[in-house]
Amino acid sequence: MNPLLTFIVVLIGFYGLATSKNIIKSVFSVTIIESGIILLFLNLGNFEGGGIPIVGESLTNIVDPLPQALMITTIVIGSTVTALALMLSIKVFHHYGTVEWAEVLGRKDGE
Amino acid sequence: MIFVPVYLVFVPILAAMIIFLFQKPKMAYLALVAQGVVTVLAVWYFLTFRDDYSQTFFTFGGWNNLIGIGFRNDAISISFLFLSIFIWWMVLIYTFNAKKDTRNFLFFLLFLEGVFFGLIQTNDLFNMFVFIELTTILVSILVAYEKAGDSFRAAIYYLLLNTAGVLAFLLGIILLYYSFGNININQITTMIASSDLSETTTVRFAYVLLMSGIAVKSAMFPLFTWLPRAHAVAKSGVSALLSGIVVKGGLYLFIRISLMFAAAPYDTSMFFFAIGATTAIVGVMFAMTQKDIKQILAYHTVSQIGIMMMGLSSTDSLTFSGGLLHLYNHALFKSLLFLGAGIIVNVYKTKNIKYIRGVFRAMPLLSILMIVGMLSISGSPLFNGFISKSVIKYGLTDAQYWLLQIVNLGTATSFLKMSQIFFGPRTLSYPLVRKREYLPVALLAVACLTMGVLHVPIADFVLDVDLAKFKPISLQYVFEYGLMLGAGFLLYKYVIDKDYKPVQWIRNFRISFETANYMFLLYFTVMIGVFVVYPML
Repeated sequence: MNPLLTFIVVLIGFYGLATSKNIIKSVFSVTIIESGIILLFLNLGNFEGGGIPIVGESLTNIVDPLPQALMITTIVIGSTVTALALMLSIKVFHHYGTVEWAEVLGRKDGE
Repeated sequence: MIFVPVYLVFVPILAAMIIFLFQKPKMAYLALVAQGVVTVLAVWYFLTFRDDYSQTFFTFGGWNNLIGIGFRNDAISISFLFLSIFIWWMVLIYTFNAKKDTRNFLFFLLFLEGVFFGLIQTNDLFNMFVFIELTTILVSILVAYEKAGDSFRAAIYYLLLNTAGVLAFLLGIILLYYSFGNININQITTMIASSDLSETTTVRFAYVLLMSGIAVKSAMFPLFTWLPRAHAVAKSGVSALLSGIVVKGGLYLFIRISLMFAAAPYDTSMFFFAIGATTAIVGVMFAMTQKDIKQILAYHTVSQIGIMMMGLSSTDSLTFSGGLLHLYNHALFKSLLFLGAGIIVNVYKTKNIKYIRGVFRAMPLLSILMIVGMLSISGSPLFNGFISKSVIKYGLTDAQYWLLQIVNLGTATSFLKMSQIFFGPRTLSYPLVRKREYLPVALLAVACLTMGVLHVPIADFVLDVDLAKFKPISLQYVFEYGLMLGAGFLLYKYVIDKDYKPVQWIRNFRISFETANYMFLLYFTVMIGVFVVYPML
């Protein structure tokens, strides 16, 4: 896969953040950016026909193991952020009865 | 005992977990014990290695430092470490209550402390991303801790906007790895100095991504919109922590990345000075018009960050240390103001400064301490804000100097407005105030005065710069400050207090979430124009 394609996925995520008027859609956009970044990094460390970087297998002609190690961490953090964001949007819905940004942010303090 | 930096990260986190596991209110004392252990370790580490920190650079598991994860310290990170330990002590004492069940709160507070120490000491760009993202998560939980509608919406606004910024930061790290083949900060610094890799488009693009991520985290113009929302609705102790030290995490990244790219031929100082000046002026404009006491303080954090950026963007080492000094001073006086404001809000049950009157008659000691904080932030001689502002002023050209004076005038005006709460008759007979809450406020006030008067030995000891030419007080300084207060009073009396239409318009001006993200993309595009496209022409 071309790294440029994954970069386009990242841009789609940012476009979503800048246009979506709904909290849940914003959460999705953040997830899309993250997926794009993970795909991009895995792509940069990968090449056609590369072997698995595990000790015990043959260690010649392997793909770069560092991106894979780092992206595992990114996936874990990303799932935490998504879970927390969804929990907060449920709480926002309980308090305001809506998940539209304009309505939620438009209310006065203390309501 | 080379592992002290690691213990500093894990002692607070372990204590947080133990407090959370054992469901006894008495376990809260463990937080104080852990904080004490951290303090002793940090002091011991400082005294042992202060001559040469490079002997404590180390990589986990003995890996080659091209691929391993490591910690390192230098004068800047150690001063950040002590500052954050001090502020955490203050917040811990302020919020400590062994009778109530506060273990959830203590869990997040101590966890944040450990993560923040990791952020300060890491020598690895990916770990930097992990720690900054963890602070984002923990801060949004702490903001939402009040469990009101306001705090939930502020928390999700904060979480999503900052995560978008931090992901841009991660993208920058990936491009750097692609160009340099490692993510070790020391290695990349030497590689930038010894090769012309930093002139390639990829590295320039990576720099832009890193800096735009940092701009969100450190609340620069036009991306500061999350800060007043989040800092104004949190608990007072948490607000003090956020405005005092956590928002400086973004500026710390700015310092680290700037130092990393120090050898690169980018012309950064003009751009970041402009951003800093705009942040300062816009922040103070918003601060002048607000009526909510915590909103005022939160917008002042924005404008003071602008002043710090004015100093930190400079290539001159004296002006740079002025910015750094202002950062430390701001942490002291802003925590003081937030903690004091928290006590006042608790007693009066309102945040609107129109309805808070007669504080001086009701709580004279607290009023004096708050006035110390106000004098510090508005740059009065003898107080710490004055020293760091003078150091920054010293390196500015004439036009830049007047920009800073405009910000100072705005700060004076807005604190004259806020000081109205002290006047008026006593409305409360005997306000219920806990003595424990007074202690951190008083200690912070003492620290403000100490930094203002003994700045020469302190700056020499911590940052190794000579500030002997900056005097804490003289007749000319007092006269200038008096003039500033006079102009501020006129501005307050005839513009702000009259509540004209533009003032109301600025007060009610809020940026929606989509627009904030749009601003982020715009900021990013402008940075590409300045740092990638313009040098190619």
